[in-house]
Amino acid sequence: MLISAFLFAMFAGIAIGCSLGVIFHRNPVHCALMLVGVLLSVSGLFILLNASFLAALQVLVYAGAIMVLFLFVLMLLNLKGENPLLTRGAAKGFGILFAIVVFVELLWTVLSPQVEAGSMGAVPTVPRGFGSPAAIGRVLYTVWLYPFEITSILLLIAVIGAVVLAKRKFG
Amino acid sequence: MDTAFLIESVIKVHIVLGFVLLVVPFIVWMERKVLGHMQDRIGPERVGPFGLLQTIADGIKLFMKEDLVPAQADKAVFILAPGITVVTALIATTVIPWGDTVTLFGRTIPLHIADVNVALLFVLATTSMGVYGVVLGGWASNSKYPLLGGLRSSAQMISYELAQGISLVSVVLLAGTLSLAQIARQQAHMWYVVPQFFGFAIYVISGIAETNRAPFDLPEAETELVAGFHTEYSSMKWAFYFLGEYANMMVVSGVAITVFLGGWNGPVLPGPVWFLIKLTAFLFFFIWLRATFPRLRYDQLMAFGWKVLLPASILNLVVTAIVVAL
Amino acid sequence: MTPAPIIPLVYYQVLAAIIFTIGVVGVLVRRSALIIFMSIELMLNAVNLSFVAFSRQHGSMDGHIFVFFVMAVAAAEVAVGLAILVAIFRNRDTANVDDVRLLRG
Repeated sequence: MLISAFLFAMFAGIAIGCSLGVIFHRNPVHCALMLVGVLLSVSGLFILLNASFLAALQVLVYAGAIMVLFLFVLMLLNLKGENPLLTRGAAKGFGILFAIVVFVELLWTVLSPQVEAGSMGAVPTVPRGFGSPAAIGRVLYTVWLYPFEITSILLLIAVIGAVVLAKRKFG
Repeated sequence: MDTAFLIESVIKVHIVLGFVLLVVPFIVWMERKVLGHMQDRIGPERVGPFGLLQTIADGIKLFMKEDLVPAQADKAVFILAPGITVVTALIATTVIPWGDTVTLFGRTIPLHIADVNVALLFVLATTSMGVYGVVLGGWASNSKYPLLGGLRSSAQMISYELAQGISLVSVVLLAGTLSLAQIARQQAHMWYVVPQFFGFAIYVISGIAETNRAPFDLPEAETELVAGFHTEYSSMKWAFYFLGEYANMMVVSGVAITVFLGGWNGPVLPGPVWFLIKLTAFLFFFIWLRATFPRLRYDQLMAFGWKVLLPASILNLVVTAIVVAL
Repeated sequence: MTPAPIIPLVYYQVLAAIIFTIGVVGVLVRRSALIIFMSIELMLNAVNLSFVAFSRQHGSMDGHIFVFFVMAVAAAEVAVGLAILVAIFRNRDTANVDDVRLLRG
């Protein structure tokens, strides 16, 4: 009991700290590393939530492939830190205001009495094998079969799109 | 989560990680000795019996060297990068089973640190994190050759990871589980290398590419890149890269043995002994390859990965799936 | 061997809300297109966390499936997005969204 509370606090702290790092670091490569930190701690939270398959997938796909692609592009373009860091005057003020509104709204929803009654209560125990590859496969290939197939088409289109964009000659 | 379980886990972690770290000098010694004999030389022989202590002496020398950080380097990332390489490799060793269960003091103790139900994915995930060590080391040095080495390795490792993962998936199809201990247990009578020979070949080739070993050691190619990503590294930071490379070799061999070569299974001798015999043979194979093959050219390497290895692994997967379905 | 699940759902939701908001701030105030991309990934991760937490609470696997789809879509998005970014960079020599505001190429 104490262990999982401690782990939650640790991962949550790392996630929030690293997310702040993503948006406030000047050097894009440092931002990317901070994002890797967020991804890994979210993966840790997935394990706390009995989603071990998704946790492994998160590290493998997100941290291991997508972020390496990011780093690859960053190193290839060799971007300098932006100067100035943030957008100009009015847009910045509006952005922060909008973010505060979004945050209040989200908290309002999460902490509203109806939702809280359901979410503060005791966490039910899950059936054996919850979140395991077998359980995910059973649902994915029966109930969600068509969306799954459409996702594969989406990925194919993305591959073709990336190749077309990369092959084009620019004057 | 009782106390006995905790103590048991801590002891096992110490044994496995200690073993991996302590055995690395002897693998290096073996590599130099075997390479020497294959090239008609003697290899190290002055320090200790048969030159056994040569690597220890080298380690002490590295420890004493000045620890340089280039003035233009990104200091934090430069220091972090070698650590990532070692840590990811060591984490991956925690799920590799080196024996079945033993009964000690009335407790049944499985001979692996953690039996996660997604162990195979776990290994793939941690090794995919290992790319960061090389890429960041190359980038943080802020110098031409390391950057080229880092870029090359990120492209190479991402490309070969695909073929590696897909070749393992075909075994998962046969075994019906992602747990490494379960997969090893199922091979008591027939090793998966028999029905999955192509998968095994693809896994070994991409595994060598993943560890950046010859003939795929493009990221550190001495002749063209001046040692590639670790040009600017010296002293213990360099030693960490070296350690990481050998620990990675052990992980790749360990997974190959567990998934394809029957794990700890073998007649007469106890499980861990068989595992060690197979591990030694596999490491010898790594060294043998290094002595035999010349380094590939970069475009050959990428073409081979994408146009030969990946289609071959997908074909293997499809055929396996059809056979399993029938 | 799974850790005892004692953290109430609401903690995960608040954490997801915080990460999501940080992502929103990043999208709105940073100038570099790459950082904006990363902030979008932050928001996607916040949503994923929320999905998995709800899934755990209701004992249903559907949330996990959604996270799976989100990851696939994120991979596709990043592949195309980075290709577009590289194209823009080759054309204009900048990755700042404020500098890319002309329609002619």
